[in-house]
Amino acid sequence: MNGPTHQAKPRGSAIALCGAVVFAVVVLILVFALPGATSRKYPERTPVRFWHMWTAEWKAVVERIVDRFNESQVLYEVVPLSVPGTAADSKFLLSVAGGDPPDVMAQWNQVIPKWADSGLLIPLNDLMSPEEWKEIQRTTYPAALKIGMYKGNLYGVTTGLDIYACYCRLADLRDAGLDPNQFPETLEELVHWGELLHKFTPEGHLSRIGFLPSGFVTYAPAFGGGFYDWTRGTVLLNTPENLRAMTFLVDQRRKLGFENVIRFESGLTVGLGNVQWPFISGAYSITVDGQWRVEQIARFAPELEYATFPIPPPKGGRKDAGWVNGNFMIIPRGAKQVGGAWQFIKFWSGIENPKRAAEFYAWGGWLPMCPAIAEAPKYREFVEKNPQFKTFLDVLPSENIQPTPPVPYQVYLWDRITRADDAAQRGSLTPQAALERLEKEIDREIATRRQFGYEDETEVKSRT
Amino acid sequence: MKHAGEGLTVITRSNMRRLMSGLRLGERDKGIAARRLNRTQRVCAHAFLLVLCIPFILPLVWMLSTSLKEDSQIYAREGQQSAISLKTLIPAPIKWSNYAEAVKTVPIGTYLRNTLFLCAATVIGAVLSSAVVAYGFARMRFRGREALFMLMIATMALPGQVTMIPVFALFRFLGWYGTFLPLIVPAFCGNAFYVFLLRQFFRTIPEELAEAARIDGAGDSRVFRQLMLPLAKPALATCALFQFLGTWNDFFGPLLYINDPSRYTLAYGLQQFMSSYGGEWAQLMAGASMFTVPIIILFFLTQRTFIQGIATTGGKA
Amino acid sequence: MRKHWAGYAFISPWLLGFIVFTAVPFLASIYLSFTRYDIVSAPVWVGSANYDRLLRGDPLFWKSLGITFKYAVVAVPVGIIAGVGLALLLNLDIAGISVYRTVFYIPSIVPVVATSVIFVWILNPQIGLVNGLLRRLGATGPAWLQDTRWAFWSLAFMSLWGVGGSMIIYLAGLKDVPAALYEAAIIDGAGAWQRTRHVTLPMMTPVIFFNLVMGVIGSFQYFTEAYIMTQGGPEDSTHFYALYLFNRAWRYLDMGYASAMAWILFVVVMVFTTLIFRTHHRWVHYGD
Repeated sequence: MNGPTHQAKPRGSAIALCGAVVFAVVVLILVFALPGATSRKYPERTPVRFWHMWTAEWKAVVERIVDRFNESQVLYEVVPLSVPGTAADSKFLLSVAGGDPPDVMAQWNQVIPKWADSGLLIPLNDLMSPEEWKEIQRTTYPAALKIGMYKGNLYGVTTGLDIYACYCRLADLRDAGLDPNQFPETLEELVHWGELLHKFTPEGHLSRIGFLPSGFVTYAPAFGGGFYDWTRGTVLLNTPENLRAMTFLVDQRRKLGFENVIRFESGLTVGLGNVQWPFISGAYSITVDGQWRVEQIARFAPELEYATFPIPPPKGGRKDAGWVNGNFMIIPRGAKQVGGAWQFIKFWSGIENPKRAAEFYAWGGWLPMCPAIAEAPKYREFVEKNPQFKTFLDVLPSENIQPTPPVPYQVYLWDRITRADDAAQRGSLTPQAALERLEKEIDREIATRRQFGYEDETEVKSRT
Repeated sequence: MKHAGEGLTVITRSNMRRLMSGLRLGERDKGIAARRLNRTQRVCAHAFLLVLCIPFILPLVWMLSTSLKEDSQIYAREGQQSAISLKTLIPAPIKWSNYAEAVKTVPIGTYLRNTLFLCAATVIGAVLSSAVVAYGFARMRFRGREALFMLMIATMALPGQVTMIPVFALFRFLGWYGTFLPLIVPAFCGNAFYVFLLRQFFRTIPEELAEAARIDGAGDSRVFRQLMLPLAKPALATCALFQFLGTWNDFFGPLLYINDPSRYTLAYGLQQFMSSYGGEWAQLMAGASMFTVPIIILFFLTQRTFIQGIATTGGKA
Repeated sequence: MRKHWAGYAFISPWLLGFIVFTAVPFLASIYLSFTRYDIVSAPVWVGSANYDRLLRGDPLFWKSLGITFKYAVVAVPVGIIAGVGLALLLNLDIAGISVYRTVFYIPSIVPVVATSVIFVWILNPQIGLVNGLLRRLGATGPAWLQDTRWAFWSLAFMSLWGVGGSMIIYLAGLKDVPAALYEAAIIDGAGAWQRTRHVTLPMMTPVIFFNLVMGVIGSFQYFTEAYIMTQGGPEDSTHFYALYLFNRAWRYLDMGYASAMAWILFVVVMVFTTLIFRTHHRWVHYGD
């Protein structure tokens, strides 16, 4: 047998080789010839690195705000970077651990207690004079303040709150003989309306849900419950009020049939994320959702006749209660341009000039952090264009909207609360059992944390 | 080998060896597995394959269809339970401008350039280094070979989530943070997956061929370069394909190590169309289509490299 | 001796890479598994507390391990059978076979966002394909991804989407089967099935072995689809081990605990892998 010589198509392999070389050359040319995507507009200024999680149409809004800031002063240039949500936290944490964090970051995940506890963030009240700090505490909406604070310090300035309210389809109401101008004042009444609006297929399956209260975290505060005692600083889980809230929700589901509801609901979410909103397609007559839906309806279903109203409390319950979250700006420890970052935060959030900042809130459709912004002309204009937005503004000053408890194990806590809710809503555990299991889990987590040397001041309590 | 008439017997390894040593290179061709089918068999095969194809091609069809729709068409309207149904697969009217808008929204030229560069670098690095290492494990004899091989396999068994921080710290320590180096240099150090795959292929090549070459005076590296590499072309091409796809789709790597958006890749650009509360779905699908269809076409055109055996090597005895 | 050096020379790229890029992070993560570490503050030594807590005080650890193990036991054999079967099918000499091959590889190329959406639609209880078919047959399908009993099986079923990748490797392996073997078999009077059983499959055992090992390693680290589609699923029924690990590491910032989890997984995977390697001489035929 001959040696390993190949007379096999030398032409073929030569062509392939040439092709590879040409390709490599082309790539190299492209690499070095084409200009970069972004270059600094004000290269002589000090750069302030700003990371955020917005993409798509929101990114454009962010860049407009950044441009405005850059035009408004001559010292700094804010350089924005969009770090999409899935990777944002990891990239941020690694950059801090690596000693090269951004100067300011816009976040909306529930990170403040944990990160503040680990010394990751700079207390922003240290950057203010005592008078400024007092003023901010006085004027900011309670919910906005609660989100950003941890152990008496402010770590995040809220630049947009998420508030929930009821949306209802007017046509459906009229068909059922209900008066859209007389919204229910109590939750029980609203549920009754819902029952009149349910629709079923001949086989008895649901084809439309009139109204089904969902979301333990949304309704617990309305029943006088909640997950945190803000005065004493303790976590509350298996309290009588929470139990009542959960039982109420579970009872509504039981009336329709757990399986039935699961079937119906899973048939709706077709994976386009939050965009595929069943309310638009008529699967729900009345539903509870956040303020961003207003803009969405205006854009994708402008002819839809609908109205918004605050979630009615149960008889004897707390008015305008619910869960709140939002986006906020933080400054990590180790940031090089703390001064510039703080300037930018004051500019965007409206601490410095509420009237000017009102325009930014209007661009983003965000709820403002203090009344001065809400009453500014530019924001009023925005609300006039989207009148249904007003409901959310009305709920905003309420003391009863609760953010997530500010404990370092916040994310774990929230995950387990959601699981408990899920188990009860599916009927696999009774509300009592679900809450008991939840309390046990959190107790165990706290005990483990103590064992590992974390000192958490909060303990789970159930008022009996 | 038993003679005909005794029915088929198990082909023993020694028989195979004997057979292959008498083998001419050119006979390792398309293989008689690709035998002639009669009419009915062919029709059955087509029918079966067509049915099986449907779920596999659906993502692509849906993606293309959504990319050509108006915003209003994408979201479920009154009475519709879902935005996706077989009826709505055909967009009407067809909105080609989604593609134009998608191209304008992100700096595609930059991203494409960066992606191609990374792909070229990692493919070359991974394939070459993995081939060399694989040959070492497959055909060279040295002390600790099996142990080192198991060690290499073991490196794949640890979830990367927990080594991310030390690796990141390492790259910072080396001063490579902010450059493409963390993404390129490790590719030149052999990838366990490819090494394993190539080792399997190298081991199926009969020892006799290499021995014959050595008798002719070829050293190890010549044997490797001129005998083994060409014989393993389909496997090499497969590794190249996998590496190319891996780098093409890699969103997190560049994002983590680089802060300058002018060096980001197409995968990052694609993420820019998604957003939690809205997102430009039509443009996203247009972007995703532009991101995907060229690869599919590329694969279609080059599949003979992976799958066609070594018939092209001809060769004489 | 010269032979030894040559061998080391050939594997030197990997050796170097291992020493520089892999060994240190591995050792570091072993160290981290004995600490309490939240990424942003320095690690604090806690001895074996993480392992203790994992093995004794964490029901979710056992649950997720069980789910993952179940997945491996199901997905790996099914994946191999499907991959080999598909490769054999796509090796036929019929018109347009290259189109078919491309089609089956498409899900590995298309972005995960598109495949997830389609998959959720196919499994939609009301209007999806699967339940529609079942309705035609007179049965009512469950709520698949939302049903505690079926979510796991839906994800296991979805793993078949990725069969294109292993199919390509099998196809490359199939083409390497020497024609002379088939000729000899035909002379011996073997039918198509017998040829497959006695020629094709044995010759493919090297790549089957490869896919078996990679399948085991990969399925124990199954993560992406669960993360995107169910986030642990209805009542933790799809809370895979890698997902729990990810949550512990990056959501709850419990990196020391997650490192301990990772090393336990490592031990489990290596036990199975070593078993497979030990027994592979009995069934894998190489060319030598």
